[in-house]
Amino acid sequence: MIIDSSTMESEDEESLLGQESEDENSELSDSELQEAFAKGWLKPGMNVLVDQAKKHVNNVEGLKQCLAGFCKDLPWAERLDMTNLPAEDVIYKAEGKKPAVKSGDVNPDDDFQREMLFYRQAQATVLDALPLLSKHGIPTKRPDDYFAEMAKSDQQMQKIRKKLISKQLILEKSEKAKKLREQRKFGKKVQVEVIQKRHKEKRDMMTAVKKFQKGMTDKLDFLDGDQKKPKEPSQAQNKVAKDNKKGPNAKRKYKDQRFGFGGKKKGKKWNTKESHNDVSGFRAKVANAKGAKGAKKGAKGGKQNKRPGKSVRKQTKSRS
Amino acid sequence: MSAFKRKRGGQAPGNKKAKKAKFVADTSEAPKENEQEKTHEITVPAPVSQGKWKNKERVLIFSSRGINYRTRHMMQDLRTMMPHSKSDTKMDRKDKLFVVNEVCEIKNCNKCIFFEAKKKQDLYMWIANSPHGPSAKFLVQNIHTLAELKMTGNCLKGSRPLLSFDPKFDSEPHFAVLKELFTQTFSTPRYHPKSQPFVDHVFTFTINDDRIWFRNYQIMEEDAALVEIGPRFVLNLIKVFQGSFGGPTLFENPNFTSPNMHRRQIRLAAAARVREKQMVKELQKLKRAGTKEDVTIDVTADVFLTPADETPVLIQTEAPEPKVVKKSKHKAFKRQRMARK
Repeated sequence: MIIDSSTMESEDEESLLGQESEDENSELSDSELQEAFAKGWLKPGMNVLVDQAKKHVNNVEGLKQCLAGFCKDLPWAERLDMTNLPAEDVIYKAEGKKPAVKSGDVNPDDDFQREMLFYRQAQATVLDALPLLSKHGIPTKRPDDYFAEMAKSDQQMQKIRKKLISKQLILEKSEKAKKLREQRKFGKKVQVEVIQKRHKEKRDMMTAVKKFQKGMTDKLDFLDGDQKKPKEPSQAQNKVAKDNKKGPNAKRKYKDQRFGFGGKKKGKKWNTKESHNDVSGFRAKVANAKGAKGAKKGAKGGKQNKRPGKSVRKQTKSRS
Repeated sequence: MSAFKRKRGGQAPGNKKAKKAKFVADTSEAPKENEQEKTHEITVPAPVSQGKWKNKERVLIFSSRGINYRTRHMMQDLRTMMPHSKSDTKMDRKDKLFVVNEVCEIKNCNKCIFFEAKKKQDLYMWIANSPHGPSAKFLVQNIHTLAELKMTGNCLKGSRPLLSFDPKFDSEPHFAVLKELFTQTFSTPRYHPKSQPFVDHVFTFTINDDRIWFRNYQIMEEDAALVEIGPRFVLNLIKVFQGSFGGPTLFENPNFTSPNMHRRQIRLAAAARVREKQMVKELQKLKRAGTKEDVTIDVTADVFLTPADETPVLIQTEAPEPKVVKKSKHKAFKRQRMARK
């Protein structure tokens, strides 16, 4: 029995006291310990009993005997067991690097490394076992028309497939988004370039015109060049503009034309100096449906004012 | 459905043994059936290949009461993976472990995988060679079952596995015993009636971090492309016994700490951390209370003071004489004073 004075469970005053006494006690003899106990210095809970370092059984002889006892001497075709080192790491081999870790010291907390180790071990086994299997006449591939129950049901496999597909979709989507982002960045550059080019063309044109005006040149070929060159891009640009920004639809256009779009609204309907006496817009045929001579009612086609006159309207209003 | 049931077979002589192969077109019966039916019928060989089933290994896979769902699933998975396994009802917790031996005898099994659940969270696995031993006890950790979606492989139910062992299994005697035990337990006997004649998956046993890691891979191609099927688990060896579920201990894992101990250590560490924090807090409080007085006194205040010469102290014993006031009562005005000057 050894008294260990290192760790105390509770940090009460008692135990604090006890620690001190224990520190003294650790080098005291048994008789002194007894005295201390008699005086009441030693209390239960202050001392921690530590077992002797546990001896772990490892009966090598027994193990060997045991192994010899229950070992069955079966042919390999019955057992199908293999013991081998993990296969060479293909990735490392391809990159021309030496494997970073030996199989002995794979970090068990590194999931990828660890699983790779297991995978490679299985791989090595399969590579070694396949020729042996064929030698023993054990098939590894079932024929295509061989149907039998599988370990996992079709439902389960369907689920797995679905998950795989969804994962792939997510990956693709993210990739697409990435590409788009890059394109947008690039697209801005292109736009700026186009604008700059247009400005430059305009500038050149203006200088050429000025030169011509001043009589420095007689040639008018810059006009041709101007017509030729920018025609294609302008067309293309028009197309792009059409594609990008659709104008208002036909209905809107008509309404805009009829009622106006934007601009000042106030006083638009007022008469002006010119209009106050102008009755050219008045069509007796249309107004009040009182046709001109000779024209019959209803025979005038579509253009007819449906609105009755003011007096009629008043009458109907009061009646109802 | 039964009319279209595809049956295996024809040419294999082992056909006669297959009990369910009643629809197989026998040469004598075939002419009686009409021609159309005959053409539609597909014949597939019986699941068992021809040969004699010699290795009568049977494994009893069962558990104690109080296992959780994950363990139950894993047990089921092991049963699907091992066609030579048998199942039994759960054992009562109060039963002694050596009762398992009797169960094995009743079930005609000579190997046993027994799952023992404790506290509804710790799972122990016994693998035993039933009547005469040896047996090994493991702590099972990190269980993943077949039902998990990340395991994408699949294999025939009842096909025989390849067993792959780490070379470390040959390095130490207790590992050698375990290897033999695993081989005998997990390898499906050849020509077992419930087994399939193909080898399409690999069980791997790897030793890493003082534990045995179990994985199951499907063999996809001849160039050893693999896909994991599952289940997967980690075995932490506790002890190896000479007998089956008992007997003298042959080996004890020195690196093993029981889950109870582990949890206790974590708890203690957490408690110690809290206690330390509290102590620090208290100390700070004390410090704050104590230092307030000291601030008012400057210790270095009189460092530069030099002692001056002592002057004799005079004490007046008599009262001072009254001062004579010389003040002319008729003080001239300012104008007069100026004029006088």
